[in-house]
Amino acid sequence: MSRASSVVIVVLLAGLGIGATYLVQQSSAPRIASEQRLLDSRNLLDLLPADSYDNQPLEQPLRLDDAVLTNSTLQSAYLATKAGQPSVVLLRSQVLGYAGSIDVLIAIGANGTLVGVKTLRQSETPGLGARIADWPNAWLNAFAGKSRSEPADNGWALKKDQGQFDQIAGATITSRAVINAIHDALRYFDEHRQQLVGNSPHE
Amino acid sequence: MNKSSTLQNSLMLAPLIGATDSWMTALGLWLMFIVVISAYGVGMTTLRPRLVPSARLFAGILLAATLTSCAEIAAQLWSLKWHQQVGIYAGLIALQCVVLDHTGFFQSALRDRLRLCGLFGALMVGLGLLRELIGNGGLHLATLVPGGFILLGLLIAAWQAWSRPNPSH
Repeated sequence: MSRASSVVIVVLLAGLGIGATYLVQQSSAPRIASEQRLLDSRNLLDLLPADSYDNQPLEQPLRLDDAVLTNSTLQSAYLATKAGQPSVVLLRSQVLGYAGSIDVLIAIGANGTLVGVKTLRQSETPGLGARIADWPNAWLNAFAGKSRSEPADNGWALKKDQGQFDQIAGATITSRAVINAIHDALRYFDEHRQQLVGNSPHE
Repeated sequence: MNKSSTLQNSLMLAPLIGATDSWMTALGLWLMFIVVISAYGVGMTTLRPRLVPSARLFAGILLAATLTSCAEIAAQLWSLKWHQQVGIYAGLIALQCVVLDHTGFFQSALRDRLRLCGLFGALMVGLGLLRELIGNGGLHLATLVPGGFILLGLLIAAWQAWSRPNPSH
């Protein structure tokens, strides 16, 4: 063994190591990326019961007309289907909260009842309004099963505003904004049912 | 316990606390550790006689980095979710290879090497199982990192109390 041969071996090892890592990385990058997308969409869609859809909802966007609603703006809509039948419509809605805009994902079943609500982005006060982003979220869970007509329009408000819903303690404005966004989305669904899911089987 | 084995043991502490929130992650990381360490051992045994002493550390670092990177990518292919949980601890395996090499682990008897690997595995999986059981039993703290530390401390204290002769005798 000599100094020169050692240097040659180390340089060879470096080249081999870099080459091997590069090749392995290149050959597996597409599969890892698609796996990552699947994981992301599953995280995003965990407000839906796993057996309520069998398509890739994020790859099935819906067209939105007049997306500016009374209190909120719809940004995008996706359709979840099961066995080819529309099962859930996902509406991404943006509403103005206390400290900035709040993005929520609202899932409405084909029959018009609310399946779930999930906060995607918010900048509310930590410890107060920011609790809207907790997941799972007991406060948001309370809306599941409600619909546009159940409760009636004047029930869709905080108890403080003569409605029927509790608020997140210390976060009236945040709670009010999210309730309005949900109500808007349900109303929009009701008015555009034909366009979103076609003929509902319940009609 | 000499200085180098302290370094070796304290390096093992990081995965022992960080990657044992469930026994599956612990077992996976241990298997990855065994695969990388074995490949590293084989590689270094071939290279060592052909290198001057000053070049051995460089070669070791290069080999450890290559093997760990490839193992990490393979782990991502196998299960991305698992890899996201233990990613940084899997990266530490490279450092463990180099430190083990430095402390003469690969020159020691096969029995000693197996013993250390087995002990590490048993500790990882045991702690993982224990934390998962306690966590499922309702004490959520056990699945968090501080809980792991406290549990390990209690286990060590229990071990000391049990194995040390009673001073009153």
